[in-house]
Amino acid sequence: MTKRSSWVQIILFTAFISVFFALFVLMPDKGFSERENRELTQEPAFSLESLFAKKFTTKFESYTTDQFPFRDSWTTLKARSELAIGKEENKGVYLCKGDTLIEAYEAPLQTQLDTNIQAVKTFAENAAFPVYFALIPGNSEIHSNLIPKNAPNDSQKDIIDYCYANSGAKNIDLESALASHSDEYIYYRTDHHWTSLGAYYGYEALMTAMGHSPSPLSSYTPQTVSDRFYGTVYSKSGMSWVKPDTIEIYAPQDVSTEVLNYLETEPVEGTFYDYAFLEKKDKYSMFMGGNTPLLKITTKRSDAPKILIIRDSYMDSLVPYLQNDYSEIDVMDLRYYKTQLINSSVSDYVRENGIDEVLICYSVYNFGTDTNVFLLN
Amino acid sequence: MFVYLPVVLAVYYIVPWKWRNPWLFFVNLIFYGWGEPVYIVLMLFSIVVNYITGIFVGKYRDDNKPKAKKFLVINIVINLALLMFFKYFNLFAETLSQIPGLDSIHTLNIALPIGISFYTFQTMSYPIDIYRGDGDVQKNFISFGTFVALFPQLIAGPIIRYKDVASQLNFRASSAEQFASGVRRFTIGLAKKVLIANNIGKLWDTYSVMAATNLSFVGSWLGILAFSLQIYFDFSGYSDMAIGLGRMLGFEFMENFNYPYISRSVTEFWRRWHISLGTWFRDYVYIPLGGNRKGKNRQLLNITIVWALTGFWHGAAWTFMLWGLYYAAFLIFEKLYWLKVLEKAPRFVGHFYTVFVAVCGWVLFQLTSLSACASYYKAMFGFGAGGFIKPVDTFYLASFAVMFVISIIACTPLLKNLYKKLPEKTQSYATPAIIVLILVICTAYLVDATYNPFLYFRF
Repeated sequence: MTKRSSWVQIILFTAFISVFFALFVLMPDKGFSERENRELTQEPAFSLESLFAKKFTTKFESYTTDQFPFRDSWTTLKARSELAIGKEENKGVYLCKGDTLIEAYEAPLQTQLDTNIQAVKTFAENAAFPVYFALIPGNSEIHSNLIPKNAPNDSQKDIIDYCYANSGAKNIDLESALASHSDEYIYYRTDHHWTSLGAYYGYEALMTAMGHSPSPLSSYTPQTVSDRFYGTVYSKSGMSWVKPDTIEIYAPQDVSTEVLNYLETEPVEGTFYDYAFLEKKDKYSMFMGGNTPLLKITTKRSDAPKILIIRDSYMDSLVPYLQNDYSEIDVMDLRYYKTQLINSSVSDYVRENGIDEVLICYSVYNFGTDTNVFLLN
Repeated sequence: MFVYLPVVLAVYYIVPWKWRNPWLFFVNLIFYGWGEPVYIVLMLFSIVVNYITGIFVGKYRDDNKPKAKKFLVINIVINLALLMFFKYFNLFAETLSQIPGLDSIHTLNIALPIGISFYTFQTMSYPIDIYRGDGDVQKNFISFGTFVALFPQLIAGPIIRYKDVASQLNFRASSAEQFASGVRRFTIGLAKKVLIANNIGKLWDTYSVMAATNLSFVGSWLGILAFSLQIYFDFSGYSDMAIGLGRMLGFEFMENFNYPYISRSVTEFWRRWHISLGTWFRDYVYIPLGGNRKGKNRQLLNITIVWALTGFWHGAAWTFMLWGLYYAAFLIFEKLYWLKVLEKAPRFVGHFYTVFVAVCGWVLFQLTSLSACASYYKAMFGFGAGGFIKPVDTFYLASFAVMFVISIIACTPLLKNLYKKLPEKTQSYATPAIIVLILVICTAYLVDATYNPFLYFRF
């Protein structure tokens, strides 16, 4: 090596590390990552206590990687490198045909699944009212053919079959309803949720099985509300180059339909579609305004029955379809309704509110992993 | 790396020479304390004890050998006691508690101090070298502290012997050529660790936890080959980074790896793998035990002892000792008989045999229980419940094919030799370009990592 070349190497190396050090110090810290849809780690406060508890150093490290200059470009570069060396995924997300991002499914712990299905069974067997149970398969099941051949992707159908065999409730098959429309835009390409169209097919199957007559798809006129939606799978993948999703609305809120949102003990007025979320990253939350413990929806169909739905976030885009079939739709999320269930039970709720039918409806993924399903009893 | 390293280097080169060792001493302690703040105390204790006993050993070594020896023994006892307590106490407690009547012995909740195996061995070399007259007493406490806690190699070696760096502690020149070679070495080490080891390690993570019924013949070999590559690139990458950083600070450390997987015998493998550890055991255990000077049987016994200890040094579990003895068996077998056969056999026989022994050895090394090893070996030798191949194996094989090819080539000196053949002029343009390219890609992987074992080492 010549002396000149040596100096070039030294200068490049020291410049590289010190430029990023300087930028790291000088650039203002970001609070929220739009791209990753999460709060970034902030500079930890130094104290001897946190130092000796090893909290300070660990936090300082995630602070440096989270606030690293041009973080989004680096994560994209990493995703591109992974694909360049022959992998078809990054961070467990597969890049499939047509810019579809799919996270493979991993079967849940058997113990957790058994706890949850046992809770449903106990609830259904002790109920004096009809209990329906439906599990929603995800993209990795309905579109498993898009995932590279032989890639590890557990069957959600097996989980559904196992749960239905042990649920003791009236099971509703959503899997075949969705599978028969698999060539339509029923799942977002960049998010784990179903689209409004997917939710419609779910609604159709539910109503048919529960003895109601669903409104036909032709009675709705879809309306596009956003064509810049990047979902959760996108956030995880680092594949920032894929094209965004479109959000459509099928069932507009009827003027006489009232939504009460029990975010706190005292309800506030809610809405089917909270357009404010379309300005944010988390656009899916525009359905029903995102996670909430309890929604009480009353419709003009005062002669129709009342339903209680125990659910996860997939239900948010399905609820609007129900306004022609029920007089009251109560939507409960056990993850956030915990405290209210300390002194009363779900059965008490059904009795006190004169509910006619109960539907327990989760995505397969959440049902296998959620630790709050036991609260049913 | 982007915070610690620029500050350390900048201050080091700004301050005058006499402040450089104190600065290094200071940042070493910060570096060490980063992982385990409490253990700074342990580190300081170790430095003080070795500093003082070192002075006494040096004082008496010329005219009162027995007294010098006494201090040497005290030193070794303290060092080993610390190592035993912090690293092995729980293993011993657990083992003893299984003996009827001793079940009142309980394990303690002690975290292993980072790098204790490395720096204990390193400090022990100090009084021994002084006693033997191979080095002089370090009277400057700061310089001595710098030696013990020298941050580049504190956590994963190379284990430097006092006699090798004694003169560098008092004075070391730095030149542009040396710094640049440090940059090159560091960058290569970084690439080995971040781009190869972490990447192929993911495959082993998948296979090492696979249930016996899912582990096929092909899968088990894929998994353990991935680990064989991971441990080599992880460990040698770390050594390269340490040697590189050392050079940036003006130190010359000994080499630690020399393309071990191209060896033609197990004996040769251990001359190329973790050289500094092998050298340490040779100089401070094997030769004092008599080495090969006391007859064949004694030599074989010595080999067995040294390798049981070498295995045990790698971790606090009996499987590590077994792993050491596994190598002792091959080394003895080669010494007595097999080496002569290998010399006459075609080259590929030796290569194949050595890699085979090493790869099979890693199962014993990495799986923590004997039952896990047994079921893994079963799969490797075709008696497992998982059959010959699973569909998912073909997916992993395809996904990691490029990675395997790259890393296997990187196990040989092929690229290095080809690069050397390039004209000087091309090299002087290509080298800086390659350095920047590696730094950019490594940064992408480091920034994106949610879990990164490298960050644990904390540069």
